[in-house]
Amino acid sequence: MKRIRTLVAKDFLETRRDRLALLFTVVMPLAFTAFFGLMFGGGSDRLPLAIFSADSGAPATQLVAALTGSGVVKTEMMTKDDAEKAVDDNKVAAALEIPAGFSAALAAGRPAELTLVSIAGSTGAQTVLTEVTALAGELAAGERAAQAAVAVAAAPPGSSSTASPQALKDAALLMARPLAAQALADPVATVKVIEAGTAAGQIPNGFVLSSPGMLVNFILFSLLTAGIALIQERHNFTLLRLMTTRLRRWELIAGKAAGMFALTFAQQIILIGAGQLLFGVDYLRDPAALLLMMVALSLFASTLGLLLASVLTSEQAMVATTVIVSMSVSALSGAWFPLEITGPAFQFVGHLLPTSWILDGLRGIVVRGFDVADVLPAFGVALAWSMALFALAVWRFRLSD
Amino acid sequence: MRNVPALAMMLLAPLALAALLGFAFGGGQSFSISATKVAVANADTGAAGAAEDAGAVVAGVLKSPDLADILAVSEKPSAAAARASVDDGKAATAVIIPAEFSAAIFGTTASAPKAAVEVYENPTQEIGGAITESIVGQALLGFNGARAAAIAANGLATANGDGERAGKLAQQAAETYLREGGAAAGVSVAQRAPRLPGGESTKDVGVTGTILAGMMIFFMFFGANNVARTIIDEDRAGTLPRLFTTPTPRQTILGGKFSSVFVTVTVQAVILLVAGRFIFSIDWGRLDAVAALTLVAAAVASGLALLLISLVRTPAQAGAIGAGVYLVLALLGGNFTGTAAAGGTYAGIQKLTPNGWLLQGWDAVMRGGGIADIVPNLLVPLLFAIVLFAVAVLRFRKRYA
Amino acid sequence: MSIVEVQELRKQYDPPKGVLAVDGVSFYIDKGEIFSLLGPNGAGKSTTISMLSCLLHPSSGDAFVDGHSVVTDSQAVKEAIGVVPQDIALYPDMSARENLLFWGKMYGLAGAELHTRVDEVLELITLVDRQKDRVEKFSGGMKRRVNIGVALLHKPRVLYLDEPTVGIDPQSRRAILDGILALRDQGMTILYTTHYMAEAQELSDRIGIVDHGKMIAVGTNEELVKSVGEEAHVELSVDHYLEGMVERWAAVQGVTTATVDDDHAVLLVQDANEVLPRLFEAAAASGSRITEITVTEPNLEMVFLHLTGRALRE
Repeated sequence: MKRIRTLVAKDFLETRRDRLALLFTVVMPLAFTAFFGLMFGGGSDRLPLAIFSADSGAPATQLVAALTGSGVVKTEMMTKDDAEKAVDDNKVAAALEIPAGFSAALAAGRPAELTLVSIAGSTGAQTVLTEVTALAGELAAGERAAQAAVAVAAAPPGSSSTASPQALKDAALLMARPLAAQALADPVATVKVIEAGTAAGQIPNGFVLSSPGMLVNFILFSLLTAGIALIQERHNFTLLRLMTTRLRRWELIAGKAAGMFALTFAQQIILIGAGQLLFGVDYLRDPAALLLMMVALSLFASTLGLLLASVLTSEQAMVATTVIVSMSVSALSGAWFPLEITGPAFQFVGHLLPTSWILDGLRGIVVRGFDVADVLPAFGVALAWSMALFALAVWRFRLSD
Repeated sequence: MRNVPALAMMLLAPLALAALLGFAFGGGQSFSISATKVAVANADTGAAGAAEDAGAVVAGVLKSPDLADILAVSEKPSAAAARASVDDGKAATAVIIPAEFSAAIFGTTASAPKAAVEVYENPTQEIGGAITESIVGQALLGFNGARAAAIAANGLATANGDGERAGKLAQQAAETYLREGGAAAGVSVAQRAPRLPGGESTKDVGVTGTILAGMMIFFMFFGANNVARTIIDEDRAGTLPRLFTTPTPRQTILGGKFSSVFVTVTVQAVILLVAGRFIFSIDWGRLDAVAALTLVAAAVASGLALLLISLVRTPAQAGAIGAGVYLVLALLGGNFTGTAAAGGTYAGIQKLTPNGWLLQGWDAVMRGGGIADIVPNLLVPLLFAIVLFAVAVLRFRKRYA
Repeated sequence: MSIVEVQELRKQYDPPKGVLAVDGVSFYIDKGEIFSLLGPNGAGKSTTISMLSCLLHPSSGDAFVDGHSVVTDSQAVKEAIGVVPQDIALYPDMSARENLLFWGKMYGLAGAELHTRVDEVLELITLVDRQKDRVEKFSGGMKRRVNIGVALLHKPRVLYLDEPTVGIDPQSRRAILDGILALRDQGMTILYTTHYMAEAQELSDRIGIVDHGKMIAVGTNEELVKSVGEEAHVELSVDHYLEGMVERWAAVQGVTTATVDDDHAVLLVQDANEVLPRLFEAAAASGSRITEITVTEPNLEMVFLHLTGRALRE
């Protein structure tokens, strides 16, 4: 055990000495996290929406007003050409076209159509679409409610009025519309949104959800330096020489794995600490569960790094493989984008990987108040993977090229 | 180039990752989402004398076959069971209809109790949450609208002096409202791609095209790095200093190295573009714009690689530091995540990186744009490239003075 | 009693068709001896040392170091030996002292004993004033000294040195050779591999010549030279009439054979020092002058050539 500790201490010493490696494993992820945190920590921005309208009727104006008052979009009136170009140039998330006849259609009780000009696949446009649909729907509902009321109650009983039916109707509409609008403004049935595990009304900001993903990405990436160090030791024959001392082979492998574990764990402490203290990502909500997830991630990363360094022969191969593996694993685990937007096959493959379980666990801790029992399955998956990778690494471990 | 890891990085990796991520999103032209799992608990006890159980209506909307692609509904016997589904990860959201729902909906007095339908969400599944909220909101709008019609009719009747029939008229108005389409007929929002002033509609860009463009640029960085590294290798092997003892001027020797970096990544890009065309059927767009983007990307990759090499001492550092820098640039520039929502902070962050500009340029070109549309997307990265080159040259001069 | 006994060691990589690197090598080393394994590159020297270091498992055969088998008792063997590998196996970004401390711990030393021993070794390899400098900054010779120092930390009973002087400057080589002799004088047993004949001759008490994985001759320098019956070569050129001179010389006492080769005569003589003056007399008596003379004493190169038909150095 003492010799294993000596090995780990030596590895740490060398990492500390290698200033560029230090930059790489500690400073860069920290700076990146800080940068992202500052950008996203403040809550979401309103998405820019261009509006071009060929309709001057009241409903059209009301729709524009409703959108302008929305907390989701930030409106700007433009000409058609300017709006189309603005979408094309990615200056606005989408453009709303209110065609001539919109108000008339609504007033006549016919279906009215709006067009949203957007770039396919843009997530911002999807959010805008939802908001426009909701607000336009409310507008239409109000108009139709007024129409329905007028249809049954426009004429006073025993009509002996001298006014034409149309004039009566118009007058009734003028009265009905605000009544309907008022009723809709204070509806009897509302949607109450509760985010599980959070205090009522609290919505996690963008950074909170993306922070665990970045953590996983960087930890996987840092296998690069640890793996290269091992490969270099093989190249400079110190690995072989170690076998002429009292050190046994299993002690050497365990020492290397322990070193990688310690390195990635230290990195996690720094990144999680920064997230917690500087950007309000509440990792410490359940410290025991957090510890389990950190151990799981470091176990997986260190055994993976050990296996790669055991199998690969050059440091160039290590760079190439680590980049590709860390990217693929990150993508498949939901570190870059939520798995919920991917197809079922991709999700299936993703959930074979321990990192997707760990990410779910971390996000659960932060946002949903997971405890140890909730993250235990994730720990189990990571442990199983780590044991398999470690066995493979031991089998393939070479002392020299 | 007999170097297998280098070739794998430069050619195989971007294609494989693009394929992987394309597979993530359904492999087709658009981002497709798997159905959101919703747990529904209807506790509605109905209302005396009411025609329908309002809660059942709402549940019916959620279970409608039209929404089968979007919602996968399972009915739960109680609110607790529904929430447990979300907590256990079996459902993304739970819709809980309270017991007094019908009573509130069909209450005829203005002071009828309000009813809130609870949408209990897993906060890490934002999209599922948004979809559920939207659909429930639409369903409720039907009821709220009917109620607004009733209230408006009530008001009209009262104003007309028809107070005795007010209640009956209100009910008729509500029924009229519901009969004429409920929540469905109202406003529909169609989506389309922007149309540019020339009359041409912009094309829809496939997901794979966007991703491959991002991967191409990312791995061009590595491709440039691999070639530029040979400068260090030769320095250490002694062949570079030996070259400097020949009559050939230093600038020529280094210039030759620089050119070989540029040419290599250009060739790499061409191969990837051709592969994208034939393997993934990607239509990259107009040839002159494609060529311009490719050459500027090659310049950026070369300049970046040369600057990095001029700063490090060993090949191992070149590999590791390079990988780190490229990863950060790619994460910030959106190489892995496609086009960002315009106006969001992320779009702003993208503009801090040369690859961000290039990617936005690629997006425009794939949607049918020409050189005139991407002038800033060419000039800004070019400027980056020039600065990078300049600093690299200065450093090399200092080192080999 | 021999402290090292090697019995029919064999090593085949990737059997059954793989390379047979060591093919039935046997020898012994007595306590306090310097034993050299001499042979060209690829002869199997490094493989043999690897097996004796317990880094490689023999395909068959065994070896005993201080009574312990390398096959069954490797931990005990490792405690008895110090290995100086052919390549510099040190951590370049650590100082000489840090390297020694680390390796000392790997050898089981600790605490004050470790520090004292490191100080002693630093004195031995004369690097006390550079001990805090990083190894990557050292010259080739200095690195080799640290490389050797590491192997001495735990006071091994047998020291293996695998080609320790390859590619270094003459002063450093001289220093290393002197150091090895000093160690032997202090009672260390040393196994030394090399392809430099001069080193083997100078250092060794006994030499084993290996080629293609086999031990083809063992003995002291004198024994080996004598065993193949080599004689000194003398090559002579004269100012005129070589043919006749050669016959005269062939008749001189102590000359075994005399032949003409191009424009000089090649003589085999038993004792060059005795015969040389007679050759000069013979030449003078014939009125010729010897213009050029080269004497090559019998050496291991000749032994190797004799035994294998090939040169020791390619």
